[in-house]
Amino acid sequence: MIHPSISSSINTQKKSELHGHTKAADSTLSQKSNIPTSIRFPAIISDLDPMAKEPVRVLVTGAAGQIGYALVPMIARGIMLGADQPVILHMLDIPPAAEALNGVKMELIDAAFPLLKGVVATTDAVEGCTGVNVAVMVGGFPRKEGMERKDVMSKNVSIYKSQAAALEKHAAPNCKVLVVANPANTNALILKEFAPSIPEKNISCLTRLDHNRALGQISERLSVPVSDVKNVIIWGNHSSSQYPDVNHAKVQTTSGEKPVRELVKDDAWLDGEFISTVQQRGAAIIKARKLSSALSAASSACDHIRDWVLGTPEGTFVSMGVYSDGSYNVPSGLIYSFPVTCRNGEWSIVQGLPIDEVSRKKMDLTAEELKEEKDLAYSCLS
Amino acid sequence: MCNLLNIEKDPIRVLITGAAGNIGYAIAPMIARGMMLGPDQPMILHLLDIEPASSSLEAVKMELQDSAFPLLKGVIATTDVVEACKDVNIAIMIGGFPRIAGMERKDVMSKNVVIYKAQASALERYASEDCKVLVVANPANTNALILKEFAPSIPEENITCLTRLDHNRALAQLADKLSVPVSSVKNVIIWGNHSSTQYPDTNHATVSTKSGDRPVKELVTDHNWLKSEFITEVQQRGAAILRARKQSSALSAASAACDHIRDWFLGSPKGTWVSMGVCSDGSYGIPPDLVYSFPVICEKGSWKIVQGLNIDAFSREKMDDSARELAEEKELAYSCLNA
Repeated sequence: MIHPSISSSINTQKKSELHGHTKAADSTLSQKSNIPTSIRFPAIISDLDPMAKEPVRVLVTGAAGQIGYALVPMIARGIMLGADQPVILHMLDIPPAAEALNGVKMELIDAAFPLLKGVVATTDAVEGCTGVNVAVMVGGFPRKEGMERKDVMSKNVSIYKSQAAALEKHAAPNCKVLVVANPANTNALILKEFAPSIPEKNISCLTRLDHNRALGQISERLSVPVSDVKNVIIWGNHSSSQYPDVNHAKVQTTSGEKPVRELVKDDAWLDGEFISTVQQRGAAIIKARKLSSALSAASSACDHIRDWVLGTPEGTFVSMGVYSDGSYNVPSGLIYSFPVTCRNGEWSIVQGLPIDEVSRKKMDLTAEELKEEKDLAYSCLS
Repeated sequence: MCNLLNIEKDPIRVLITGAAGNIGYAIAPMIARGMMLGPDQPMILHLLDIEPASSSLEAVKMELQDSAFPLLKGVIATTDVVEACKDVNIAIMIGGFPRIAGMERKDVMSKNVVIYKAQASALERYASEDCKVLVVANPANTNALILKEFAPSIPEENITCLTRLDHNRALAQLADKLSVPVSSVKNVIIWGNHSSTQYPDTNHATVSTKSGDRPVKELVTDHNWLKSEFITEVQQRGAAILRARKQSSALSAASAACDHIRDWFLGSPKGTWVSMGVCSDGSYGIPPDLVYSFPVICEKGSWKIVQGLNIDAFSREKMDDSARELAEEKELAYSCLNA
């Protein structure tokens, strides 16, 4: 039995291919095209365990890059969809990266992951998108030194416009999309605009990394296990205008859950340094590594999808960049990070949280930046 | 949630040397997610690297914090080998001197022998008594041997090297050949050195089918392939990855290291054996005092060489070839130390 939130989207054609486990099914593991028929053994079926779930197809774009390299083994080990959920990985990248992409495929095969039922490594967007139930869009045009914001935006907007078309036409119905590549919110917005038949609730962007960073900072400050901290909120854009809000965050203590503000006892830090540390963490990592975050980005992407598909724990909310419905007076028509809970494969914005004046200002500021990005994106397209 | 019902295990300390490199970057999140020790075993990571890498090392620590891993109870990122080794229960030795173009075998050996001699003393003095060691850095078997020789108070059964990567590669090649899921292939053996003299042996390997476990030899009718192309494919896979990626395997090496430790620690599945580079006890006519890859089963935190397997003439020759190479490496290592 497959998780209900995904079962409706499994392409039934693919099901029969998998049971027969023919070579055609997933351009898969073999580099060799002529296997002597004497070796075929029809009685060997794809999975002997009748309780085994149908594999879910997960697309990773930009898969030959460093986030892809960190992400694919996590997916293959069940971190994204659960320890009992087989997967077929679709890895897409651009032609210059074809050899490196094949190297990643080879390593995935070499790792003998029990849950990994196939690997499609391709530079063809159609093949990449066909039948996928989950799409993690890591591919994009990185900002190079000397590039203007408009140039980065312009390049990414055309990429996401064409990705949108490919996904819309070829992905499985109810495909869940997570945009990681920056500018994440605006790339996701473009994707949404140009893939009108993908339900807008299925298009999201990653702010879980910022959310996890915020949890990490609080746990360090309080010297408590990070798993005892919850319900921070990342509002807005995955950029330096994001607003990490601890007003509703809690820590598990021996005498029950306590508000973070109460335990930290340092509002100046929480309203100042904590916020800028989280906002600028990406830059701090680049400074130290000379490369942007890959490990933590990949891990957060897994958390984002896992909670979306499998549900958030009772009493816990997480941050996701989703299509605004006007909640909290955030303009609709933007992809904006909100606090959400997830159940049955759907996210819902946590409603009714009191918003103080300081928060209001910050939330509005980041919405303004997103509106500007949206305008810039559209001007690039016209 | 009532904490009384949710008693957490004490964290296990895991050391990763060379932690700022590519394999370290791949393995750290795998360990933190429970892939090495199980989904309910918390850990504290000790990350060690050399001074020039200290900024990158710090960045790895930052990213681990940023990932909010529930099982990860602490990270020590250090260039101080004493701090790194203190009380560790598991040590994954990835750090070593890589072969650079133009280097002679003797030079690579010489550099690594010095490193592993020093690591040996530190581990012996500061690690936990029961510390389990996995050497990944090449030349893996000989580095492990040096480590063993210079850390005499570490029980020799606790010093191993990684051949699980070759083992997994062999399973995957067979699975591909037979068009079956890799999880249905088992009991391939990697004998010998983690080098191009390793011997991937399919004589006892099986595939699970609807009619039970069937020998690979029965299902792959092309025995010539099993004795030639298959062997070379597995032996040279590392080079193939290097050609494609322009970098050596990190993802698959890290994953195999997790498998190696997990099976050692939690036990190998019933009826399944795995390959580990371990101190030879003379089994199968392999000289003792070499670190040699054998088929083993693991139970209750210990490994045991699978005994009584039939060894044909073809296998015998290959096993002896690899043993000879290891003996030569050992001599070379000692000559470097005495120089």
